[in-house]
Amino acid sequence: MNAWLFLHFPHLLLDEQLAQQPADQQQLPQVLLEQQAGREPKVKQANLQALQQGVEVAMDWVMAQALVPELQTRNWVASREHQVLAALAQALYQDCAQIALYPPRGLLLEVKSLQRLYGGLEPLRARIEQRIQHQIPPLRYSLASGYSPLAAKLLAEAEQTLVTTATGPVEQALQQLPLQHSQLPAEQIQRLLDVGMQSLGSVLSHSAGALGQRFGKTMTQYLAQLRGELQQPQHYYRPPAYFYQRIDLLTEVQSWQQLLFPLKRLLQQLENFLQVRQLSTQQLLLKAYHRNHEPTQIEIGFAHPVWQQREIFQLVQLQLERQQLSHPALELSLWVRDLVSRESQKTRLFAAAKGEHQEDTQARAQLVNRLQARLGAQAVKVPQLRADLRPEKAHGLQPWQQIQQPTKPRYRSRLPRRPPWLLTEPEPIQRQQWQLQWGPERLVSGWWDDAPCHRDYYIALDPWQRQGWIFSDQQGWFLHGWFS
Amino acid sequence: MAASHLHELVAKGWVWQGQDLPAQKLQQQFIESGWSELDQHLGGGWLQGSVNELQLHAPFSGELAFLMPLLQQQTRPTVWLNPPCQPYAPGLRYQQLEPDLQWCLYESDPLKAVWAIEQCLQAQQVGVVLAWLPELSAACVRRLQQTAEQQQQLVFIFTPSKTATTEARAYVNRLRLYWHDGLHVEILKRRFGWPLAAFRCPVEDFLPERRRSAQQSAT
Repeated sequence: MNAWLFLHFPHLLLDEQLAQQPADQQQLPQVLLEQQAGREPKVKQANLQALQQGVEVAMDWVMAQALVPELQTRNWVASREHQVLAALAQALYQDCAQIALYPPRGLLLEVKSLQRLYGGLEPLRARIEQRIQHQIPPLRYSLASGYSPLAAKLLAEAEQTLVTTATGPVEQALQQLPLQHSQLPAEQIQRLLDVGMQSLGSVLSHSAGALGQRFGKTMTQYLAQLRGELQQPQHYYRPPAYFYQRIDLLTEVQSWQQLLFPLKRLLQQLENFLQVRQLSTQQLLLKAYHRNHEPTQIEIGFAHPVWQQREIFQLVQLQLERQQLSHPALELSLWVRDLVSRESQKTRLFAAAKGEHQEDTQARAQLVNRLQARLGAQAVKVPQLRADLRPEKAHGLQPWQQIQQPTKPRYRSRLPRRPPWLLTEPEPIQRQQWQLQWGPERLVSGWWDDAPCHRDYYIALDPWQRQGWIFSDQQGWFLHGWFS
Repeated sequence: MAASHLHELVAKGWVWQGQDLPAQKLQQQFIESGWSELDQHLGGGWLQGSVNELQLHAPFSGELAFLMPLLQQQTRPTVWLNPPCQPYAPGLRYQQLEPDLQWCLYESDPLKAVWAIEQCLQAQQVGVVLAWLPELSAACVRRLQQTAEQQQQLVFIFTPSKTATTEARAYVNRLRLYWHDGLHVEILKRRFGWPLAAFRCPVEDFLPERRRSAQQSAT
């Protein structure tokens, strides 16, 4: 019984790049180079045209260039290839639940449990093949089955395509593998070659005990892994959780109002999805698809995490009142990516509450949510203290959702007298209309940046006896705030 | 004879009584305004669940100091809708108001602004709503008053005193504030009594000290 499949993509990154090129460009010989510190770059991956003209993997770049003067070269990037591999795993996840990433270019699939579902390995293989060819059109790969992860891996990386449920052919194929493909450490291979063993078969013909005595513990472990006696834990791929649902509206819909009904259904599905996973969200993306136009996108953010259909629906409704649908819609999709665990949310609310009831904090957040849904994403602002001597920098109006933990200044009693009102911009005034009452308080600060301040502040009365906060600097006299 | 007729009418509730303690106000909740004279005139303070209008001759003439005792009592957020100028965190802190609890909202469309106030009242999560609005239609004020009464929330609407021509009926109290050697409060309308002439409200504690300069006393 072969429980494992291994997929090996020898030219993964290059194949992925080729898939995005126009047909005529694909015909040009291309290679990816691996840069090595202090040495000539080597060919890492090559396309068919390059291989046909004599380029080989691991060949020096100079050599390849000499063989094929019109060779196109680019650098191989490991992180990029890892992304491609993860995308492949994501695509295959629809067919197979247990996928382990073997970077840079391999995927291991646990298929024991799947053979009954698909009725054997052959249909499963066909499905996998279809899936990866759909993902990256001409993708070169080798697929091998094995009774242990290592067995499948060795065969696939030796580019021996072999998919079978019987263990016999796998055993045979392994025995014929030259030692270079055994993935043993180089000095082990050398020692084995020195005693006249040429293939993996000749190694396997000896008893594990004898080999272990002669070649050490690594050899014993290797053999146990190969035979499937030692099961290594696999880190299976888990797709990032998100919610995506796209529905057909059956008729053309002219306005957002008419979309509310199908939307309600979508949001119910979202609630189920979130409820099962104990998650909430702070953002969702609605898309309405039109016949001949780009889809209309609406991003809706919430001031606090939500998950209940009723609440989300109300908020979305408020938001959509402001929107117009430019063209009739045929389909509607809902995409939710930013998911927050409810556990962490609770602790955060707790931290923010500080002696208040948690329900109050939540109810306040809901109120802000409602206000912002109708009046705009940053409608509710809160004045915040900042540590700066310059009056206009000692404070800022911040959107409610961005406020931090309240920071209490230590010396409340020593706070300087400041007005409760501040003008957004200081307003030029005529000095003679004002009666100085108190001052000056000299504020000199900010010489280190581009907004230095060198001012004398006074409290003064205007002709209507109102108490203003005025200052004089090099430019003259200005009103900056009001005390009443 | 005439007295018994009057008793009859009073019993039917057809006579408006301009006395200090009408029977129906006993059950109602008042919040102390911090000014004993005003409390006395308003029957105990600001009525919990009321919309009050404050007419201003000019903005910044002491209205914030006038409300400061009330604002300082709040443990829930205070909503500032369309304030004439930015509420300044260091100054609020100086007056012992928690800046985090001062929510500023800006909305130029009066209908949306009224909607926002209603939302705040219905959520029952804010302490006081301060709104600077141009003239509101009587219908809007009635709507607000109804919500405020149902939810037992307190709302203050600041209006410029010249334009205030709307009927006062919907407001619980309508006061006019102006500064003339101290803050003067004129009660234009109150729930339990007739209008009163202006009286002086000692708000100076919440303002920087004023001194008569030599220049002023000379003039």
